[in-house]
Amino acid sequence: MLDVALKNITRVKTRSFLTILGILIGIAAIVALGAIAGGIEATVQKSMETAAGKIIVFQKGSSVITGFSGSEITDENVEEIREIPGVKEVIPMLFSIRRRGSNLIEATTVIGISPEKIDYFKGKEVGMEEGRELEEGDTDSVIIGKDVADEENLEVGDEIEIAGEYFTVVGIIEKTGDNDIDRGIIAPIEELKDAMKAESYPVVFVIPEDVGGAEALAEDIKDLFENFEAMTEKEIARQVSRLLTNIRFFTFGIGGIAAVVGGLGVMNTMIMTVMERRKEIGVLKAIGATNRMILRQFLLEASLLALIGGILGLFFGSVAVGILILFSAFAVAPVITPALAIGSLIFAFLLGLVGGFYPAWKAAKLDPVVALRYE
Amino acid sequence: MSKVILEVKGVEKIYNPGQPNEVRAVKGIDLKVHKGDFIAIVGPSGSGKTTFLDILGCLLRPSKGKVIIDGKETERLSEDGLARVRREKLGFVFQQYNLIPTFTALENVSLALRVAGKSKKSAEKRARELLEFVGLGKRLNHPAGLLSGGEQQRVAIARALANEPEIILADEPTGNLDSKSGKQVLELMKWLNLEKGYTFVVVTHDPEITRYSNRVIYLKDGKIIKEIIKKDRRIIRLDRLIK
Ligand SMILES: Nc1ncnc2c1ncn2[C@@H]1O[C@H](COP(=O)(O)OP(=O)(O)O)[C@@H](O)[C@H]1O
Ligand SMILES: [Mg+2]
Repeated sequence: MLDVALKNITRVKTRSFLTILGILIGIAAIVALGAIAGGIEATVQKSMETAAGKIIVFQKGSSVITGFSGSEITDENVEEIREIPGVKEVIPMLFSIRRRGSNLIEATTVIGISPEKIDYFKGKEVGMEEGRELEEGDTDSVIIGKDVADEENLEVGDEIEIAGEYFTVVGIIEKTGDNDIDRGIIAPIEELKDAMKAESYPVVFVIPEDVGGAEALAEDIKDLFENFEAMTEKEIARQVSRLLTNIRFFTFGIGGIAAVVGGLGVMNTMIMTVMERRKEIGVLKAIGATNRMILRQFLLEASLLALIGGILGLFFGSVAVGILILFSAFAVAPVITPALAIGSLIFAFLLGLVGGFYPAWKAAKLDPVVALRYE
Repeated sequence: MSKVILEVKGVEKIYNPGQPNEVRAVKGIDLKVHKGDFIAIVGPSGSGKTTFLDILGCLLRPSKGKVIIDGKETERLSEDGLARVRREKLGFVFQQYNLIPTFTALENVSLALRVAGKSKKSAEKRARELLEFVGLGKRLNHPAGLLSGGEQQRVAIARALANEPEIILADEPTGNLDSKSGKQVLELMKWLNLEKGYTFVVVTHDPEITRYSNRVIYLKDGKIIKEIIKKDRRIIRLDRLIK
């Protein structure tokens, strides 16, 4: 009797509202934090794909995860790495931040790379939306990601300023879904080096001759340069997945605790409800309701409270995520997967069932004679 | 004589047996309720009236003796089995009305039908008829808690009638009412008895009720001490009733 359950919930409006609010907060937290964790995961997965088979070399103390900074790999080092047996290709890279207006958050990353080696960065299969790829011997030219083109209204042939120098847009890369590319600008490394007056590189990609030997090669590089870190994609994946586990644990921990507190709220509310409605339960039994009917009815009320909280939590959690996407160019785009949405609703429903079980069971077991005599 | 629809044989009820606070509330009662009876059970407070009525209503199992409803013994029925007997054969009216105050009159009566498995729609249709029947056709959508005591008790009677019970059991139905609305409620019950053939067992210490009943049973200390059977069931002439 769903309509009866709904009606009963509205009998004690303030209490029901607060109970729903308790669940709402927990579920909203799970949805929002889960979306962020999911976004990080999706982003990392994407960049993992493009990093296939690569070894990333950078200065000790900087990190793949927090971004490379202060790393000093000179042309000389690059040559030395190239000499190591098993190395197929060495690709130095430069990064520059290009501000748009005064807003650092909306800055675009400029990546410097040798034009002929660009496929190692963006992947061979990624084509051009407009214009052409960078070619060997290009000067003062860049290709840009689709988001950059859209947001800054840039077309092939336009000029943009990077580190005080002017570059011509020769191509726009098709949309990939990978923020590093969609929100990036790719310039020939030598030009960028001149513009930035850089003497060294923060990161060097090393492509091994055979993928199986990547780990050993990374060890060799670390042995040779004691202040360099060399990581294979596998190792990065391991580190990232450890980080992701931590993030997941943390987010679902916080959200879970909030939701369980909400579930306790449901239990508390239902215990009060059953106490207050003893006589009514007695009457229901007198007019022939079985224990199972009573149990079911109170469980329905409890899970309905929780489910309403869950639906509203999903809604407000999604709104929070939407606001987050709108107002910050967060490096990762939070995603609410269907699994997250459905899972959070099921979780809310279960909280109601579990929280409501004890009070509903008490109600079902109530002796009608005692309940009816109760003043 | 008409059909026996409820019979008790040698029922006893001992609360807290063997304990220092043991109470022998009912001490061996035999009773046959015939179809069409309007039985009043009277007696002083604490004489075991409510306990006895709860046993008749299958809400309480007797410590000893048998309760036979429609020819079937109830002794070995499970809790669910007893609930089913109450749902199908019995209707209850209480001193405190025991309506859900925030539900409308219609919803209160519907609930009893919903418990018996009726759909929302058919339950509401029948509840409306019942409420019109007890003279509350204009109060269908009033929250029960805002109705007067007499009106609430009439809603409770409509609820008791919902599932076409064989017997309606009422415990002090006029106990909370002023004498005028108490009289109206009694007269409604009497009308249902005489004109519609419903069987009533009414517990009370209101001597007024004896005028409405065809049998009066006097209880004292858990035992029947006297029974008056009136030959003429129509002892109250219908033209004296409000209906
Ligand atoms: N649940 C109970 N436990 C113990 N004693 C009870 C209980 N219910 C009633 N009694 C006792 O049984 C006796 C009969 O009570 P009751 O049936 O309520 O009488 P009446 O309705 O005539 O006032 C009283 O002495 C009362 O105190
Ligand atoms: Mg009593």
